[in-house]
Amino acid sequence: MKKSYIIKRILYTVLLFFVVLTLNFFIPRIGIDDPAERYYPPQGNMSDIEYDIVKQATRKQYGFDVSTWKQYLRYVDGLFHGDLGNSFKSGSPKVIDLIAERLPWTLVLSITTLFIGAISGVLIGAFAAWKRGRWPDLVLMNASTITTALPSFFIALILVLILGFEAEWFPAYTDPNMVADFDWSPEAIGTVFYNAALPIFSMAIGSIVGYAQTTRNSMIAVSGEDFIVTARAKGLSSDTVLYKHTLRNAILPIVTNFGMSVSGLVGGAVVIEQIFNWNGMGTLFLEANNTNDYPLMMGIMLFLSTFALVANLVTDLCYCLLDPRVTVDGGRR
Amino acid sequence: MSIENTVSEKKLTQNGKTVWSKIAASCLKFLRNIGNFIVRLWNHPKGRVGLIILGALSVCAIFAPIIAPFDPYDVTQRAERGLHPSWEHPLGTTISTGQDIFSMLIYGARVSLLIGIVTGICIAFLGAIMGILSGYVGGWVDNLIMRVVDVMLVIPTLPLTIVLTNLFGKSYFMIVFIFTLFGWTGLARTIRSQVLVLKNSNYVKAAELAGAGRWHIMMKHILPGVSHLLIMSTCLTSAGIMVAEAGLSFLGLGDPTAISWGKMLAEVQSGGAMLFGYWWWIIAPGIGIFLAVYSFMRIGIAMEEIFNPRMKQTSSAYKIFKNLNNQYIEEVFHSMDESEKLGYVGGVNDNDETVGV
Repeated sequence: MKKSYIIKRILYTVLLFFVVLTLNFFIPRIGIDDPAERYYPPQGNMSDIEYDIVKQATRKQYGFDVSTWKQYLRYVDGLFHGDLGNSFKSGSPKVIDLIAERLPWTLVLSITTLFIGAISGVLIGAFAAWKRGRWPDLVLMNASTITTALPSFFIALILVLILGFEAEWFPAYTDPNMVADFDWSPEAIGTVFYNAALPIFSMAIGSIVGYAQTTRNSMIAVSGEDFIVTARAKGLSSDTVLYKHTLRNAILPIVTNFGMSVSGLVGGAVVIEQIFNWNGMGTLFLEANNTNDYPLMMGIMLFLSTFALVANLVTDLCYCLLDPRVTVDGGRR
Repeated sequence: MSIENTVSEKKLTQNGKTVWSKIAASCLKFLRNIGNFIVRLWNHPKGRVGLIILGALSVCAIFAPIIAPFDPYDVTQRAERGLHPSWEHPLGTTISTGQDIFSMLIYGARVSLLIGIVTGICIAFLGAIMGILSGYVGGWVDNLIMRVVDVMLVIPTLPLTIVLTNLFGKSYFMIVFIFTLFGWTGLARTIRSQVLVLKNSNYVKAAELAGAGRWHIMMKHILPGVSHLLIMSTCLTSAGIMVAEAGLSFLGLGDPTAISWGKMLAEVQSGGAMLFGYWWWIIAPGIGIFLAVYSFMRIGIAMEEIFNPRMKQTSSAYKIFKNLNNQYIEEVFHSMDESEKLGYVGGVNDNDETVGV
């Protein structure tokens, strides 16, 4: 039974992948004009025939020499050979190389944020649930409304002002030489985290509160159940009940939350990256957008959605493992 | 069933006017309900805070030309650049252009509130239609809508919004359109699950047996049943959209001609406010965004407590807001489907708890 569920889920993901792939190919193309005319406007002394030759050559270079449908097939074919096409940037680098170059820098930010947020959030949430109705709980509840209402980029600006410019504890902008000078020496790694401190911090605040809120709500839901009463009645210490019985059973919503953060790992920091001039996927996407570099945009969007698809799949399968009550159709019973 | 349907449809088409008058009547009823909600909200401590803030912001937005000391759009009404706060300029002036920041703040409320509320209402409409169709009609319609939702949830929203605004222009109409296009999915799911529960309720079955048409049932019996969800979600999505709009404007992708809070923050960053330590310039638009979003969230949470007194002290509103596309909720919905298949409607309440708490 379970096996069939997993297979069904994987097949559905593959189907979704193709739909998303198609949309990603056609949507950025809606407003696209001929690259030949954009990059090589007719020169004064060029005859029409000469210009035609130049146009043909440029079209061929950017893969515009065939119909859109054939371009699509070519794109899909290239995809299966690990090729996302060439960027419009000078020297036409491969899109996949550009993504691979920027990806680690985004992951440094997002993975650190994810773990800081998840670990401290779950601990704080458990504590608040334990002290339900008393001040830690009330502080958390109010903090959650406040951080949800404050956009993360505003928090980032405030942090830059206070910690970056006034106190000068952390750099307000990323050191431009950080990427170029990076080798795997401890100093270089230290510099990276020194520069990443403010972006991580500004994203982590919302993340911590989010996890704490989910944990608290889920734990309060679980703590009303019979097996918790039984555990208490057995005379177990409140710590054991809290961490062994309540928290373990309250884990499902936390896993969902975690899965969603994972699916947002790559694309979730566009604004923050922009503020700190961080050299990641978000700034790459904005660059691509500003220069109309749509093979690059397509590549990034495809990468982001594939990442989200896989993350969703893994979350669902984790669900299946964690909760034996998950049935074939994904329903909980 | 089918015969009864056709009979009632005939009845409705015979006098087409009645359909419209019925729709008008239900709209009126809807408006009256909203009036009732506002009164009930006012009597709720959390709701009152939200209503007061929202009222103040609305007054600011509507009477901006009267309240604001200067017109920030007017090139001639610019003072010296980078002034500190004074009686004449309560929040100083910008470094780059010399616009009065206090006036910009007041005019900025227009953009945020307008986009937030209009998009919230559009999303409520689209989400309600899709959710009710998918839940009540079922079959291939349901399948189609839910698969579209699945695809929409995977496509990264912000990048696609950026691409689309780039392609179709950055006017506010476009921004509302794009936000609506991507925002309805979560609401449609929520509505659908509620509709699935209602569909099995006795009064809907009675209406079906009495020969009411599908359209009639959807409008008259199902829509009122989900209206509380709609109003609540309008508040919460409006709040979310305001944050999203601020982010978009911050990236320089909002309407370039308008003054919005997000754009003010972008100017803060590019205009060197932080270098000179002009903290009032940084905090002002942030507080604007915060107040707008906070008031909507408060109203949403208060509404939820009014509609579901059982859920007091919890904040599933927060959860719905934060994870509009939450998969966990989806799981619960699946289980609702299951219980519906088993004819086990009583079990739904147990699941309700898991969503809410």
